[in-house]
Amino acid sequence: MSMALAGFLQLAVVAPPAGGLLLAIIAPVLAGLATLLLPRAAVTARVVLAGAGPALAFVLVLWHLGAHGVAGHTPPPESHHASITHVADTSGTDDLASQVIESSLSHASDAGRLAAPPQGTAVIEWVPDLDLNLAFLADGLGGFFALLVAGIGVLIVLYARGYFGGATEQARADLFRFYPTLGFFASAMLGVVLADYTLLTLVFWELTSISSFLLIGWNRYDKAALKLAKQAFFTTGLGGMFLLGGIGLLGYHTGHWRWSELLQHANDLDWSGGTLKAAFLLMFVGAASKSAQWPLHYWLPGAMAAPTPVSAYLHSATMVKAGVFLVGRMLPLFVLPGEGVGVDIWPGLITWIGAITMLYGGVTAVNQHDLKRIFAYTTVSQLGLLMAMYGLAGFDFDHAGHVVAAAIDLDITQIANHAFYKAPLFITAGAIGHYLSRSLPDLHGAFYKFPAICATMLLAGYALAAGPGTVSFQAKELFLYAIYHAANGRPWLWVILAMTIATAACNVAIFVRLLTTLLGLPGSMGKADHDSAHDDDHGHGEDGHDHHHAPEPGLGGALIWLPAVPLVALQYIGGLAPGVWDRLFGRFERFGYYFDHGVPSLLYAITHPGVPLYASGVAIVLGVVLGLSKLLRGQHIDPHDAIYPGVEAASVGLGRGLFAVLQNGSLRVYLTVVLIALMTCLSAAAWHDPGMIAPIGAEAARAFELPLGVIVGLLIVITALLLPVFSSRIVRVLMLGSCGFTVVAMYVVYQAPDLALTQLMVEIIGVLLFVLVLRLLPEPPQGERALPVGKLWRAGLGLVVGLAFGWITLVCAHAQPEALLGEWFSQYSYHGPAMIDAAGEKTGYERGGGGKNVVNVILVDFRGFDTLGEISVLGLAALGVWSMLPGRRRELCGEPPAQANASSSDPSTAEATLS
Amino acid sequence: MTFVMALCVTACVGVSIYLLLGRDLKGVAMGVFLLGHGANLSIMAMSGSPVLPAENATAAESLKAAPILGAHVPSPALANMVDPLPQALILTAIVIGFAVMGFLLTLLIITNRSTGTLVVDRLANEPVSTTRTDTRAEPFLPSGTPS
Amino acid sequence: MTSTLFKTAARLIVPLTLIFAAYIAMRGHNSPGGGFIGGLMASVGLILYRMAHGRAALLRLLPFHPRVLVALGLAIAYVTALVPLALGQPLLTSLVIDGLYIGLGQTIHFASAVFFDIGVLLVVVGVTVGMIQRLSEEVDSQHIKESGCPTTAASSTGGNPR
Repeated sequence: MSMALAGFLQLAVVAPPAGGLLLAIIAPVLAGLATLLLPRAAVTARVVLAGAGPALAFVLVLWHLGAHGVAGHTPPPESHHASITHVADTSGTDDLASQVIESSLSHASDAGRLAAPPQGTAVIEWVPDLDLNLAFLADGLGGFFALLVAGIGVLIVLYARGYFGGATEQARADLFRFYPTLGFFASAMLGVVLADYTLLTLVFWELTSISSFLLIGWNRYDKAALKLAKQAFFTTGLGGMFLLGGIGLLGYHTGHWRWSELLQHANDLDWSGGTLKAAFLLMFVGAASKSAQWPLHYWLPGAMAAPTPVSAYLHSATMVKAGVFLVGRMLPLFVLPGEGVGVDIWPGLITWIGAITMLYGGVTAVNQHDLKRIFAYTTVSQLGLLMAMYGLAGFDFDHAGHVVAAAIDLDITQIANHAFYKAPLFITAGAIGHYLSRSLPDLHGAFYKFPAICATMLLAGYALAAGPGTVSFQAKELFLYAIYHAANGRPWLWVILAMTIATAACNVAIFVRLLTTLLGLPGSMGKADHDSAHDDDHGHGEDGHDHHHAPEPGLGGALIWLPAVPLVALQYIGGLAPGVWDRLFGRFERFGYYFDHGVPSLLYAITHPGVPLYASGVAIVLGVVLGLSKLLRGQHIDPHDAIYPGVEAASVGLGRGLFAVLQNGSLRVYLTVVLIALMTCLSAAAWHDPGMIAPIGAEAARAFELPLGVIVGLLIVITALLLPVFSSRIVRVLMLGSCGFTVVAMYVVYQAPDLALTQLMVEIIGVLLFVLVLRLLPEPPQGERALPVGKLWRAGLGLVVGLAFGWITLVCAHAQPEALLGEWFSQYSYHGPAMIDAAGEKTGYERGGGGKNVVNVILVDFRGFDTLGEISVLGLAALGVWSMLPGRRRELCGEPPAQANASSSDPSTAEATLS
Repeated sequence: MTFVMALCVTACVGVSIYLLLGRDLKGVAMGVFLLGHGANLSIMAMSGSPVLPAENATAAESLKAAPILGAHVPSPALANMVDPLPQALILTAIVIGFAVMGFLLTLLIITNRSTGTLVVDRLANEPVSTTRTDTRAEPFLPSGTPS
Repeated sequence: MTSTLFKTAARLIVPLTLIFAAYIAMRGHNSPGGGFIGGLMASVGLILYRMAHGRAALLRLLPFHPRVLVALGLAIAYVTALVPLALGQPLLTSLVIDGLYIGLGQTIHFASAVFFDIGVLLVVVGVTVGMIQRLSEEVDSQHIKESGCPTTAASSTGGNPR
């Protein structure tokens, strides 16, 4: 381990740009594996070591960004700032959206920046010919995601300590197992976001699916959890296959296998034809499955069977955003300014899928009791929003004049915003579930028992509701601006605006219900409303840890909610002090067009009311009403949960059916199918190649050059043909033997003494073997003779296949190769050719095999390795015979026959005798 | 000569396919044996005709030499000697084929013991007990009686 | 099968066969022959002996399980193959000595590949004799079962514990 670490440290020094990132990627998994070396009782050391991995990755990525800059990032021109201020100050209009349009119009030069490609960092070559290399790309998107993954990773390591506890044996075993898996995931995820090679992205992408599978099925004895793990794995794995297809198509069509190259040459690609569109569609299916887009979202709520640290990390903050990340990566490639380039289905497809996911997730989230399921569906909803955001980005480009994509303005803020409130929500949900219950109706007045946890949850929930004062509020405002802006001339986008308002209202309602319930206020989801507080949440959702533990004292106990605090704090910093937020995250924003490349302040948003602000207001009012009403208080059963089991059952059924057809157990059917397929291929080959026909005539003319050979050949043919004629098995064996002996004669004719001798011996022993075995075998039942039709069919097929093989022999033997290997073998068999020195004197011979029998020298020297394998096979065959027929030596060696009979009639004594 | 060999291959392979498609596993075993002959002869044929080309032939020698380097070391050209490589390959194939045959015949015995039949179509429907204790516990299962 | 003539002939033929097999195996590097042929030939001789004199006689001649032969042969072959590796040569390199003095004023042409051939011979003998012997044991035991008395071959045992 230390050796490997030292090696990689060296790598980081030798190849600084790529090496640093590579080290960052593998640091978490190395640290995770290193924890396995610690004794189980060393919980604190374990936590520190496990946390050191992501922390190191965080530092390394930061160091890389500091040293090499954010790839593709160009500092904003000064004029930009000035003009923005100018527009904002002097327009005098209250409609923020119109300002947005104006400011974007005044910065048409920004269009170029979308296409301004990031430069990938150095390459570590592996198989350059196959475009399999390690190259990394730390642009704004990738760099930010890497910091997010590493940073939250550290917090989750701490949270896991609080969540699993540290005192009991069970907790120690859990931590022992948990950290390596978590490190594995963190490394895979860092790989996804930092890889520059498309195929490398795919590899890491699948690794995240695997780690997600391992973590969802954390409780190995819970059948339901395993089923859900399988569901998540197959859904995202299938998406990975689509992604592979898309990446392959993209790579083969364009010849570029690096994201940075693709972005660089996006304008020069051949956009005609549907290839790139197909590639985009395939890749989008991959992204949609990973980011739980409708109708493939069902796996994400199911994934809540995982322990809560996993839910908070993989299934809300990081992994599920991989799809969003991918779409963000693809955006500058597929959405380009100009006519006839880019993918025109981008905006429509992605926006609608995202919007449907958003609304469906929002409405379903309200209608749940289990906290984790509530937050899972809000995650689905938010992922839909992020998708729709990237989808909307496509609109402005095909609209002359509006050259800037409004929707993706500050996309990093949108992504960060979600991570910073969703992870705390999960963390606190896990905490409260650990102590009390995860079912909302059970939590009536929980605030007074666990004020710290509930306060954190409510603060995060306020951000979920996009309440003013959080960065979430501004993010939602920005999204609403984008829709409003894009809806100019596209009336159907008003539908999406309405859907967004409805979703926002649902989020507000969830917050209202959280607030009333936790504080025990009227209108809560208290016990009075629901007697069945311990309802089984669809048979899953419990992960075996949420069973009323007593709070653990000290820091270890506080770790169950403390890691949520910094994330929540970031939310409020962004909301109340956007300047600080911009200093932190502004550098990652590639597309910051308005508001001076930063998040507008709350004050600014309120003092410039427009449709977005009104929409937010409507959403809040609607949400409060919905939250206090009796509507949507059940436990909605998602009909999409039936998709996967249905598909699985169908494919298993299909497989069984196919198996029953293809593997029907009849040897004859198999053989017939194989032979007919072979004949078909041969006929097809002969059809196209006259060289398959010509040799027949040429060789037939030379058939009688050796009379002895003709006679022997005729004998072979006759004995072979007579074999099936006789029905007596002894005669058959004798015919087989005579056929073998005529083959021996043929070897003699062919000047192969070794073969003749060997075949002769084998023939003798083989006939003996057959005679022996046939005595042990029954005659076939006489009554069931095969029908003549069957015989005719067999004979016909035999004739055709035989002729085909004879034909192949003829064609192959007729060909005259340029050089024969045999030539070399016979030359070097005894000793090699003479070596002549410069003076023309013979100095000796080259090294040879030292034998005059070339065949034997080939066997034991030139191709001795074959022979070595062969005798090993002989030994194995004999072992097989001996083990299948265990010996009966003792019975044969002197025991009286009567006793032998007695022993045979009683199995137990027979066993004893034999052993 | 090659044409004669092709006919031999045709006969061996054809008959072996006929046997392989049969109902009786013993016939199948014979078919495998015969198929080995066919394949070996096919490889043999590919070393070319053993007849010396007309320009090299003498009254005493009309066949190429066996691949034994007698007096003439280094070797004669392959125009005058048969190709040793196919022979080496066939030698290996013969011995392996023999071992496989022994294995196959033993399998037949075991099959007959555990299922009581060697009819291919019946075997497909027969529940096969594959555990070794079966053959041990009933060492003298009457093998001549079809089930 | 067990006529006196056959038995007597077998007594004479079998040693000759074995000697001839050894000869064929040793000269195999330079004339037709070699490990495979020699092994098969020796097996034919041993099987002939068994047919003539029965199982117990063969057990007296070969008083160990044939798998010993297989193991020994494989060991010799693998050692021959691996030794050059230890000497820095490629696997299976043959040591050729053109005029190896063997005493009595005689030299022979020697190639270390002959050890490999001996290994092959032992494996072939072990496999062949082992298979045939095991199968004929099966036949014998079935005969015991069917007739209720051991075959003549089986009954002519000398009580060999093996």
